Amino acid sequence: MATVLIDNLTKIFPPTATHPSQVQALGGVNISVTGNVLVAILGPSGSGKTTLLNIVAGVEEPTSGTVRAVQDSVPAQISYVFQEPRLLPWRTVVDNMLYVQDRKSDRSRREAEFYLSMVGLSEVGDLYPSQLSAGMQQRVGIARAFLVNPDVLLMDEPFSHLDALTGRSLREYVQRIWLQTRKTALLVTHDVNEAVELADRIVLLRPGGVIYDDIPVDLPRPRFPDNPAVRDVQADVLRRFDSMGAAVQFGGARR
Amino acid sequence: MSEFGAFRPPPDILPEAAATRGRAGRAGRGRPAPGRPGESRWRRPGFVRLLGVVLLVLLWVYIAFINENVPGITEVLAFLWTELSGGSHGGMVLRGEFWPPLLDSLQRYAIGLIIGIPMGVALGLLVGASSVARGLLNDTTLALLGLPTVVWAFLAFLWFGLTDSGPIIAVVLTVVPFVAVNVSAGVRSIDRGLVEMSRSFRVPWPRLTGTLLLGGTLPSACTGIRLAFTAGWNSLLIVEWFGATSGVGWRARFWYDALRYPGFVAWVLVYVVLIVLLDRLMLRPLERRAFRWSERPVLVAR
Ligand SMILES: Nc1ncnc2c1ncn2[C@@H]1O[C@H](COP(=O)(O)OP(=O)(O)O)[C@@H](O)[C@H]1O
Ligand SMILES: [Mg+2]
Repeated sequence: MATVLIDNLTKIFPPTATHPSQVQALGGVNISVTGNVLVAILGPSGSGKTTLLNIVAGVEEPTSGTVRAVQDSVPAQISYVFQEPRLLPWRTVVDNMLYVQDRKSDRSRREAEFYLSMVGLSEVGDLYPSQLSAGMQQRVGIARAFLVNPDVLLMDEPFSHLDALTGRSLREYVQRIWLQTRKTALLVTHDVNEAVELADRIVLLRPGGVIYDDIPVDLPRPRFPDNPAVRDVQADVLRRFDSMGAAVQFGGARR
Repeated sequence: MSEFGAFRPPPDILPEAAATRGRAGRAGRGRPAPGRPGESRWRRPGFVRLLGVVLLVLLWVYIAFINENVPGITEVLAFLWTELSGGSHGGMVLRGEFWPPLLDSLQRYAIGLIIGIPMGVALGLLVGASSVARGLLNDTTLALLGLPTVVWAFLAFLWFGLTDSGPIIAVVLTVVPFVAVNVSAGVRSIDRGLVEMSRSFRVPWPRLTGTLLLGGTLPSACTGIRLAFTAGWNSLLIVEWFGATSGVGWRARFWYDALRYPGFVAWVLVYVVLIVLLDRLMLRPLERRAFRWSERPVLVAR
């Protein structure tokens, strides 16, 4: 079973040329995730969500605090769906997927094609990314993340660059693949509806990277956006999200 | 795989768009598609290019007609034939000579490129990857790039006199900055997001360098090398003009000094046709292959 332990995580970016004062991206975040759950990290833009995932993925160093991602007490295999597709433009779709995978055989090529079909893409394996629409590229990114059979899946606003219709259908794909695989997952988003649709638990993050609330979501799956129960929870989470906004705005917490 | 056997992705807005795009992309990748019936032939690159050559020849004929100092096309071709066939150049004791000067030049050119291109690649990788090397070398490289070829020619002549080394060194010195600047631009143009992606998926470093670093650098490296081929050939001609006892440039000057202008023009023609053929038949097709994945314009750093 995979576990992600985020312990008192702080990240302070030093001043830069464009930003003359230092920036606190994360201010002592504690999150513990164990087992086959999908946790959404919900916060406005600039609240340190991407920084948090980058530290979990090991591409950024924390200022203080620790992150442990383990699978049966060995380091977990992590995969990451980014806000943008992040595909090598000079590699075909399938080669892009195999690039992150260790074994290279006929089998893994067929596996790649299989995961592509799971996100509704077939017969695009030999095309180059520039020949696909943005939504299709993003799906390739999702298929790639599942191909490596990760212990821990990180997703950073994977639908935010897409138009509403494409984003909605992609959310449905992700929900269904997740139901089939049940990977331990962290989903970063600024969209309340998305969080409620996908997550078992929602961690509310406010600017400065401080946890404001931690909300369990007990709804049966699959969840559909027009389901009344889903809508009720969405309304509730939205209320809390708004109250956080008011607290930040009027409570002088901005720094 | 079997655990997902029952999984059916929901139907969706799907690949018709991709399929047509794919076809268009493939057609666009190879040679330009022949013009469709009814489409203006002005849009065909081959036709326009041919027209350009014809216009140039006509212009030459016209200028030669109104100015008696400019040798006409038939004179030049006749002269070239005498050179090629080893015949006598009229009243002089001189006989035609074609292959020895040409092969001398080509040999120097090849040696210069074989030395210069790897040096340029190495320097470019260094400057692209290390900020210290960039600080030390970048401005220098750019400054060298700005030097007119004739300066290299004179320096090479001063240092090496009338030897083979002069022209070769001049080619090397011209080629290195062209390649280096473009390779380092290629390295720096590699998307940081892709590096982050590779690291988060724990892609092993040999694959990261072999696939991401090399693939990301290749396009602009190709451009740099193509430019270097032309620039190196130019500087070779100039060095041979001023400081060599053989070669295309030497032969052109030889006839120029002898006041045999058809000979001078004939050799300039040889020089131009060679580089154009090299570029069209070898370098551009190679570059196109390297760019199969994209029709986007390439970064040309100068
Ligand atoms: N590399 C960096 N250098 C300096 N500041 C950064 C850097 N990355 C992020 N930040 C700052 O940290 C804060 C949180 O950023 P980020 O994690 O991207 O937020 P989010 O993903 O929630 O929008 C922002 O104020 C941002 O400007
Ligand atoms: Mg972000």
